[in-house]
Amino acid sequence: MRKKWKRVILFFVILAMLLAGCSVWIQSEAVKLSDFIPGRSRPFVSIAAERKESIDLVVLGDSESYTSVSPMQLWKEHGMTAYVCGQPGQKIQETYYMLKTALRTQSPKVVLMETNLMFRDPGPVKNLQASLAEPARYHFPLLRFHNLWKMAFDGKKPGESVYKGFAIRSNVNPFDSGDYMKETKEVQEMPKAVSFYMEEIQELCRRNGAELVLMSAPSPKNYSYKKHNAIENYAKEKGITYVDLNLQVRELGIDWKEDSYDKGDHLNLYGAQKVTAWLGGYLKEKYEMPDHRNDPSYEDWNQMEEKYEKEIQKVSL
Amino acid sequence: MAYHAALYVFVFLPMCAVVYQAAPQRQRWKILLGFSWLFFFVISGKLILYLIGTTLLTHYTGIWLTLLKMQEKTEREHADRTEKREIKRKYQKKGRSVLALGVIFLLAVLGYLKYYNFFAENVSVVAERLALPLSFEAKSLILPIGISFYTLQAVGYMADVYWGKIRAEENLFRTALFLSFFPQIMEGPICRYTDTAEQLFAGTPLKYENLSDGCVRIFWGLLKKKVVADRLFVPVAAVFGHYGDYHGAVIAAAAVAYTVQLYMEFSGCMDIVIGSGKIFGICLPENFRQPFCARSAAEFWRRWHISLGTWFKTYIFYPVSMSGVVKKLSQFGKKHGGKYVTQLGVSAIALFPVWLCNGLWHGARWSYIFYGMYYFTLILLGIAVKPGRDRILKICHIREDALYWRIIQTGKTWVIIFTGELFFRADGLRAGIAMFRSMFDGFEIRQFWDGTLLNLGLGRADFAAVAAGCIAVAVVGHLREHGGTVNGRLGQVPTPVRWCVYYALIFAVLILGAYGDGYQAVDLIYAGF
Repeated sequence: MRKKWKRVILFFVILAMLLAGCSVWIQSEAVKLSDFIPGRSRPFVSIAAERKESIDLVVLGDSESYTSVSPMQLWKEHGMTAYVCGQPGQKIQETYYMLKTALRTQSPKVVLMETNLMFRDPGPVKNLQASLAEPARYHFPLLRFHNLWKMAFDGKKPGESVYKGFAIRSNVNPFDSGDYMKETKEVQEMPKAVSFYMEEIQELCRRNGAELVLMSAPSPKNYSYKKHNAIENYAKEKGITYVDLNLQVRELGIDWKEDSYDKGDHLNLYGAQKVTAWLGGYLKEKYEMPDHRNDPSYEDWNQMEEKYEKEIQKVSL
Repeated sequence: MAYHAALYVFVFLPMCAVVYQAAPQRQRWKILLGFSWLFFFVISGKLILYLIGTTLLTHYTGIWLTLLKMQEKTEREHADRTEKREIKRKYQKKGRSVLALGVIFLLAVLGYLKYYNFFAENVSVVAERLALPLSFEAKSLILPIGISFYTLQAVGYMADVYWGKIRAEENLFRTALFLSFFPQIMEGPICRYTDTAEQLFAGTPLKYENLSDGCVRIFWGLLKKKVVADRLFVPVAAVFGHYGDYHGAVIAAAAVAYTVQLYMEFSGCMDIVIGSGKIFGICLPENFRQPFCARSAAEFWRRWHISLGTWFKTYIFYPVSMSGVVKKLSQFGKKHGGKYVTQLGVSAIALFPVWLCNGLWHGARWSYIFYGMYYFTLILLGIAVKPGRDRILKICHIREDALYWRIIQTGKTWVIIFTGELFFRADGLRAGIAMFRSMFDGFEIRQFWDGTLLNLGLGRADFAAVAAGCIAVAVVGHLREHGGTVNGRLGQVPTPVRWCVYYALIFAVLILGAYGDGYQAVDLIYAGF
């Protein structure tokens, strides 16, 4: 009987080795094919595909993150290198493992986290599911990139053009329901899973010498004063910097008739430009972000910036 | 947490197995009950009260019926022949009333939750047309998971106690486990008490062979579900969701794709269910036996969703066939109409409620009732033409087992199955009729290979994965059909070769599975019934 159980252990050891071996191989293939990886998995490989120790600012969050911060503009105006690792509907577990992935090859000065995901609560079962699935995907990337084989049949299809995680979306769909940040003392409850992973994220930042900054991007559909109070209390308690741009809409110059992509849910290109302009100045001043514009090893950033400008001109015509 | 979810396969099931093994043998069934209720609660939350209510009702109806039987036995001990007959009649009447009470109550709950809105909608429409002051408002009713399955199992249990085939279970919690065993609560198989009870309560320790067989069966089911069924969901949803945009071969392809999707999903789920049971040493009955090898509609139903067919046969078909009214009709028919007409008439009377219930069991929709009546008509037609057909075969010297004849019959059955599933999946009866008609509108066979099907959401790679999955399932089906078992054959090969097959199966699911980017999680179809 003991012999049989030894066999079971051997079976699983071999299985784990096979999984690990395939995962190492598929991860390297995925990095090579990062421009062709579709969907949510893309930021995991595109950040891994960046040159080692070249990113100063890592941006995390859901769709609010990649519709609000433009790394190319930060480069152009301040010479700082940023990468937006946002995903649509990013879950806190994904945020944590995204950061872990980024910190494998990068040592950013600042980790900027868009806060909308801090109120996403899929319920205990889905939270448990995500808490088990994400580490499995992180340690065995085969589970994340298993669909790569399809390229052999369907060919390589380039995904949406993204500029260090930022996609240019110039459509205008105005928001016209007035002031959405009415002052109150009420506090929105934060899901327990978020609190748990926030601790982990802070610890990760501490260990890697990165400053964690929380930012709420302007979004009438997603933010309220109740949420503001919750994040502000949390940030005060943990000693984290928090900026709520929903309270600075006028200062930023956001015009909801021009700067909204989809009726107050996300900012469009013009809104993102205003947020990025303010953010660049703020980070530069507060965290003394380096300027790499004259560094020849960052020439590829200049090339991408040229491409970015051309596309902006095209969509603005 | 459905059976194909990673949470079930990699967390819930192993956790249950570990706790089960750690518990003393006599207490293990309690572990299974605890996990079964946890499983139900995770999916249906407070609706677990319905399951508990059903358990209480079933258990105490069973006890009541057994008590009546015991009382009858005691009274009959000292009675003479005439008195015995009288006592028997008295207790039969009492027993029937108790059984009816239990069954009606259970069916009333199921009927209310599942059919109330259908009833309300149709009565309101009829009342409006007849200008009657009658109207029922639709209610938002949530069905507890698996209610259609555990209700039938409960009814079967009560009937078996009433017929004296089993003694009622004395322990309420054991009855609860019989009704709620987690691997089968969601999609069956619908078991009889004699099928599973003894095994459920035995507390068999985990064994290497059971674990290995169970795990292989689970991964085999995952392959069917994740590689084939979840991929086919995409084109099926595209065509059935916008059927007005398609016609001809695309509709026919969608009907075939849905049939394959349904089979792969339901039978794959059954593989996971049976594999889960096997881990605990519990052999649940098979629900599928290569249905696409069937040579007639009747045979198809003996191979497809076997436990439902068996339940209808045992608890509807036989009681109706053996009822006094049918017996009298049969005698009358034989005297006045001849054997053939009588047989046909009796078959029609017994089959009609079976197929009406079969249709309705799937849900409260006219298309499901049509689906039941479709098979009722075809099976009755099969009985009606059988004598003539046999004579023609004899005259033409056609052997029933000749290969070409088998191919023709199987092909005919496939057409019947695909057509039935077209109506089954269509969004209502009208949509089903419209789709059936549009299949003949501009049918061009080249659409099957000219790339038209690549516009339905699946690329070449996906179709290749579906084809690979179908071939694997067909090969295994062929082996089973010819008396072999894959596990049996694998047991005869050297361990390294066997392990290679296991690894291939696991990696096929992990690599070819339709999950992650570009795919959406697809709920189990039968869990909705």
